Amino acid sequence: MAYFILKRLVQSIFVMMAVAFLAFSLFRFVGDPITQMTGVETSVADQERLRQELGLNDPFVLQFARFTRDMLQGDFGYSYRTRQPVGEMIATRIPATLELGIVALLISLLVGIPTGVFTALRPQGFATQTILLTTLVGVSIPTFVIGILLIFLFGVQLGWLPTFGRGGTIHLGAWESSLFTINGLRALLLPAITLGVYQLTLTMRLVRAEMMEVLRSDYIRFGMARGVPMHRLYFKHALANTMVPVITIIGLQFGGVIAFSIVTESVFQWPGMGLLFLESIRFVDIPVMGVYLVVIAFFFVLVNLIVDLLYVAIDPRLRVNGTS
Amino acid sequence: MLASSVLFFGAASVSAESFKWASNTDPQTMDPHAVNSAPVLSFLNNIYEGLVRRNQSMTIEGSLAESWEPLDGENGWRFHLRRGVTFQDGAEFNAEDVMFSYQRASNEAADVRSWFAPVKDVRIVDDYTIDFVTNAPNPLFPDSIANFMILDKGWAEANGADLPARDAENHATMNVNGTGPFTLSSRDPGVKTVLVPNDGWWDTVAHNVTEATFTPIGNAATGLAALLSGEIDFIQPIPLQDVAQVESRDGFNVLEGEETRVIMFGFGHEHDELLYSSDVSGKNPFQDVRVRLAAAHALDIASIDRVLFRGKIEAASQLVPADISGYSEANSDRPAYDPDRAKALLAEAGYPNGFSFGLKCPNDRYINDEALCRAAASMFAAVGMNAELSTGPVRDYWPQLRADEFDMYLLGWSPGTFDMEHPIRFLMSTPNKEKKLGSWNFGGYSNARVDDLLPGIQQEIDPAARQAMVDEVVSITQEEVAYIPLYTQPLIWAAKDNIDLTQRADNFFMLRWVTVN
Repeated sequence: MAYFILKRLVQSIFVMMAVAFLAFSLFRFVGDPITQMTGVETSVADQERLRQELGLNDPFVLQFARFTRDMLQGDFGYSYRTRQPVGEMIATRIPATLELGIVALLISLLVGIPTGVFTALRPQGFATQTILLTTLVGVSIPTFVIGILLIFLFGVQLGWLPTFGRGGTIHLGAWESSLFTINGLRALLLPAITLGVYQLTLTMRLVRAEMMEVLRSDYIRFGMARGVPMHRLYFKHALANTMVPVITIIGLQFGGVIAFSIVTESVFQWPGMGLLFLESIRFVDIPVMGVYLVVIAFFFVLVNLIVDLLYVAIDPRLRVNGTS
Repeated sequence: MLASSVLFFGAASVSAESFKWASNTDPQTMDPHAVNSAPVLSFLNNIYEGLVRRNQSMTIEGSLAESWEPLDGENGWRFHLRRGVTFQDGAEFNAEDVMFSYQRASNEAADVRSWFAPVKDVRIVDDYTIDFVTNAPNPLFPDSIANFMILDKGWAEANGADLPARDAENHATMNVNGTGPFTLSSRDPGVKTVLVPNDGWWDTVAHNVTEATFTPIGNAATGLAALLSGEIDFIQPIPLQDVAQVESRDGFNVLEGEETRVIMFGFGHEHDELLYSSDVSGKNPFQDVRVRLAAAHALDIASIDRVLFRGKIEAASQLVPADISGYSEANSDRPAYDPDRAKALLAEAGYPNGFSFGLKCPNDRYINDEALCRAAASMFAAVGMNAELSTGPVRDYWPQLRADEFDMYLLGWSPGTFDMEHPIRFLMSTPNKEKKLGSWNFGGYSNARVDDLLPGIQQEIDPAARQAMVDEVVSITQEEVAYIPLYTQPLIWAAKDNIDLTQRADNFFMLRWVTVN
């Protein structure tokens, strides 16, 4: 097991390097950081000097090599925009993004799994059809539109929830959390729903499809024939078997939730990594963009690893194979 | 944290003096010499002060200098400094601090060093008198240093902030010690910055703010929602299309004004052929003044104003708006909308069937920039000039213009010194790297007479003689259609109606003029 985890972590380094390489090969098409860093009155000669100092005239392979070398030594460089250390900038933004992603995931699971089971058990019911239709609308509307709609409904018209930011946060060591104050949770609600709505629909439909499949299988019929109580059949035997593919998909999707929370973060001015990345693109802040992409690549690898481990925990057959 | 938490429960219960505002860009740094950009300079003008400052109508008045006069017997200015001013940490302000700030701001690591290009020498006369010696007579010098902010020498040296942070941060990136009306209470870059009044400020306090919280909100719809929900008191700017929505609600005001920025089209004067034409090769029709004039006559500014700008723009005849010093009253007419004349001019120039060319525009730099270019392209097409429009984000746009990848392009210009000399120096002078002239004259417009007149405009003390030279430059460049000035960009802010504030034409927001009622 330890060997397996170690192997995956070593692989992740190569994934991150590949991502960084691709990123650096694209950065010169993003724009020119110098014109963003200097004012209109700055002379062309001063601009050129700065460009030279920052090594922006070097071929991208060289820039990439320098970036990789510094990263391996734990030096993440300094932002072109704020001149702050990039590692620190990203580290302070990670809690906001992770909390948003995890709460979005929780909402999608806590709502998606029960409704999925419900709609599978009553496939033709009126409630089922209504739920299916509503959620279809939910996934068809782009995230930012959902976000804006929620803001104008609950923030502006009703005035119940804040429209932007993290509300009240407290520091748990270096981790700035919004999970432990009422205002933090209030601020978290709308962005988490916005980010989770796609996941929610996906979870629900996946659970429903799998559940309907499983309910048709022989062991459920035998169970029914033997007189096993229905709730035991549904929620223990059938649900456990539907969860294996659901966890894979949802797990893999979670990497995407973290990576693509950019849109939600922008709509809610949520101070996470995604918002930082967006500001950095606008400014052509190459050091921040580079480190962000590498960190996101690492998250993807990590999430996939966790999914693999969960698999083993849920499906006993894999455990036997794994140890043999 | 607690104060902001309370606010979320009920917007109506905001205490009278706390003030929250938002803008679309976070100031990148708290260092007044590191970056020459409007968001930074505007924000730091609340904390730091210069020798001179601009009042509500943009006129220069004394700040850390009480008075100034031209030097006797040599070129330059003598500044008499204000006595009894202290920095926020209690240190006393004197000529040493001005000298130190000058050295810091004119260093290679400072982005604001171009302000000091005309300065030959700076001399301390006594503790409260300092001389700035310039290479040539420079009547504009005091106006040009309104944003040159003074740091405390002792504080900067003790904290290792002798130079502006260029590559890595230093103490001045996140900490402040100015003489201004406000000081920094906390800063979380990109998230929240809190200012509190400086109790020891030397000037009369005209505001009633006890705590001011700034939040950058990049997304315009989010910013508007934050205002309408009552979470913020003021936002700059709001998009044109949201003006009606804010006006229709009780309790909010829209503040409208004219920015000092003039939007214009520029030409590739020095290109010998069109780069993006499908029917003209080997020559550049825009080198013919009749074609440039035809382009000007093809544009219907009144329609653009009505359709795209809801009647909020002012047509421009030259590269500065009317209230800027040096504005040429004698040349206040712009080419009228006259498509027939445009067609006739094109025919006369040898293009009776028109021609196609490439038009470059940014899509995130000026208000409605992309829509403007689409409208202009269809107006050009109506007279036979088929514009192949390509738009892109500004981070990519300037490099393209610098690389000469255009036939015609869009540019907006706000004169940093609030004087006509500024666009003449940057946009109309023949590009010259050594002399630092024409650095934004992408099309390479060149007229020997304009180049000859510039030093005179920079050095002439007599206003009438100076204006005569400016008038000549404006007249030449209008005649040659060096650019097509289009209009002055509007400035649109929104606030709750219990907020009194001043909208300055340079888009700077000054907390010292805010009253919360």
